[in-house]
Amino acid sequence: MQSTDSPIFKSVAVVMFFIVNLFALYLLFRGHNMPGGGFIAGVATSVAVILLSFGMGLEAAQKILRSDPIRIATWGFLIATLSGVLPMFFGLPYLTTFNYKAYELPVIGDFYIGTPLSFDIGVYMVVVGVITKVIFVIAESTSQEHRLVRIAESGYCARSEEPIEEDPLRKSEEVPIHPDK
Amino acid sequence: MIIILPVLIPLLTAICGLLVQKSSIGRRWFFGFSAWVQFGLAIYLVREAWVSGTQGLYLGGWEAPIGITLVLDMLSALMVGMATLMTLACTIYGFYEQKVEDKHPLRLPLIQLLLVGMNLSILTGDLFNLFVAFEVMLLASYALITLEADDWDVRQAFPYVAINIFGSAFFLIGCGFTYGLFGSLNFADIALQSEQMLADGEGSPYQVELLAMLMVFVFAIKAGAFPLYYWLPNSYPILPPALAGLFSGMLTKVGVYVLIRWLGTVMPHDLDFIYNVLVWVGIASMFFAVLGAVSRNFIRGILSFHIPSQIGFMLLAIGFFTPYAFAAGIFFLLHNIMAKGSLFLCGGVVTFLCGSDDLKKTGNLWVASPLLGVVFFVQAMSLAGLPPFSGFWGKYMIIREGIALGEYVLVGFALAASVLTLFSMLKIWLASFWTENPDVKPRVDDKRWRKMTYAVGGIAIVSLFMGLGAQLFVELSMMASEHVLDRVGYAESILTGREFR
Amino acid sequence: MILLTAILVGVLFAQSTYLILQRSFVRILFGIILLANAANLAVLAMSGDPSGKGVPIADGRTELSADPLPQALILTAIVIGFGVAAYFIALLYRTFLDWKTTDAGELFAKSTTDDSNSES
Repeated sequence: MQSTDSPIFKSVAVVMFFIVNLFALYLLFRGHNMPGGGFIAGVATSVAVILLSFGMGLEAAQKILRSDPIRIATWGFLIATLSGVLPMFFGLPYLTTFNYKAYELPVIGDFYIGTPLSFDIGVYMVVVGVITKVIFVIAESTSQEHRLVRIAESGYCARSEEPIEEDPLRKSEEVPIHPDK
Repeated sequence: MIIILPVLIPLLTAICGLLVQKSSIGRRWFFGFSAWVQFGLAIYLVREAWVSGTQGLYLGGWEAPIGITLVLDMLSALMVGMATLMTLACTIYGFYEQKVEDKHPLRLPLIQLLLVGMNLSILTGDLFNLFVAFEVMLLASYALITLEADDWDVRQAFPYVAINIFGSAFFLIGCGFTYGLFGSLNFADIALQSEQMLADGEGSPYQVELLAMLMVFVFAIKAGAFPLYYWLPNSYPILPPALAGLFSGMLTKVGVYVLIRWLGTVMPHDLDFIYNVLVWVGIASMFFAVLGAVSRNFIRGILSFHIPSQIGFMLLAIGFFTPYAFAAGIFFLLHNIMAKGSLFLCGGVVTFLCGSDDLKKTGNLWVASPLLGVVFFVQAMSLAGLPPFSGFWGKYMIIREGIALGEYVLVGFALAASVLTLFSMLKIWLASFWTENPDVKPRVDDKRWRKMTYAVGGIAIVSLFMGLGAQLFVELSMMASEHVLDRVGYAESILTGREFR
Repeated sequence: MILLTAILVGVLFAQSTYLILQRSFVRILFGIILLANAANLAVLAMSGDPSGKGVPIADGRTELSADPLPQALILTAIVIGFGVAAYFIALLYRTFLDWKTTDAGELFAKSTTDDSNSES
């Protein structure tokens, strides 16, 4: 994806990236009893990342995530699952909540710490990872020609040896479906 | 506590597989080990259901009609056993099908996620969780169906994806309808309330019937019943054999399982119109699909067309709606999962040996590998329903119940469809194994096919055991059908805090 | 209000049926997205009047909050619909790159003579 030429948009995008992320964190941490939560916060963060990629180009946005978005999503998945598993070690059913209410914290106010929060953080990471990955893949494939196809071909084709039904169109010699022959 | 584990172990396995994406031998060992653990756990669950009957698990400690409930009874335990068995066999088969470095790194995690979806939809005790589980299962299957497809095959995924999204939308509407009608989504609660509603005379029985019909439509799409099966024979052959075995074995059968659960446990037992529709839909799908199978001449195509045909037998059994017919249907369901899956895997070995599964380009295999021939023959005859294999007992029970009910026309159709099944199975057998074809030289030098055959042979042994020792499995199916049809008992063991009877 | 929602659901269903029956897969995609939205609205409408139905869990103060269950259902369904739509778009895009068409008739026709399809 090309970065835009407009300097106004560029500088606004950078500032907005931080503001939207701050708002996303706010949504994440109030999500226990108020409107908000991991999913919405994740969507907000991914919107911020997409905005940044419009302003500064796709590479900048990928750099700011520091790793493959799918890895972020997987770690989030693991955190969410484990926060459900944790009570099982105490003989309680899966997903039982352990919650601790911290009163009167500075700036934040009343605040809940416990498995719901870690579950929400996991969901947040999953959503950020998946949405940004979807956007990155589609954006890359529109900027570089046939990137999706190259990914598919470089990797792993099916071991289907013959076409499902005979078709004169299909040129069987040019399809590299025998990686091990 | 233990009921959640069939969902949780595959989930954690899949996450670990996603974290370590580099293909290696150690990663394979990990997945194989996890599959064995799950299978052992499933056997323990069957024992648990045998000993202590229906029991629930309330996630997060929220009691039944409010929170998420998982329910274990005989039927769900047996289905979890079958799901894990098929996953185990297909995983091991997949190890030998491709070399370590050729493997797509996402395949194994996605198989585990598919298993999460299947196990959750089998074990769940409320309607919306069922919807979510179906979606998990379907999304994993969408990914798997296009994961290793080349550009020619990838378009065949469109009908599959489109019809399933369509079905999911109707499923969602059905959930909303149920909530509007009963104010609850818990199976046990719906079962009680629908009974209560009809007894009190408030709310028309037509509403319940309409709801049941809507859901039957949705589950019939998932199961691939007669007018809605066109997506199936084209999309399943594009899968690699290991995945095709898993898909054909389990995915459609989960639809049948949910249908059994829905009509047997959740809905009232006097929806005669729906049962009649189901019987005829079953007859139509077993007959038209088997005609499609006869017309095809490549192995995967024939086997794919057989799936709706066998689904037809199960729908017939459900449509008879007696406890014995339910037991017959459940027995047939269990038999069919193994037979269908292992036949697809056998087809994969044939493709591996001959380089093609077009019947004209195969042959000589009986000489090349008698073991594969025996495995294929056992499962093919079992599918066609010849004694003493397991398919015979399933069909025998269904047909006996049909004769007892006086439905001679239906029985005649079912027998005719069985003959056509036998015909198309013999077509594969003759062309691939028995015929001498001078153009074909089976690739027996590559020793991997042996191990693939052993993986299939494992299922074949279980299947043979099911046929020769049918007594045990018939008893299990009888118990399962008892558990499914006992609506009050189901509600009693789930909704513990209420008065009954 | 419920009547209005019901009418809206009907209109959405009609539109999505029309779109799904088109030949182009892009329109089918739009139809599917519309169908998911119609289904979500239908859940909202079918769960009835929100007033009077309290939160099923909390004791007391239930008059302040509407029935959360349909909303939870719809939220989950929206997320799932989002994932499915993303998958479908990616699949459509890949097919378009391979085949240079999204028309169902051309895609599944056996007798097309366009040779450029399996290059690229």
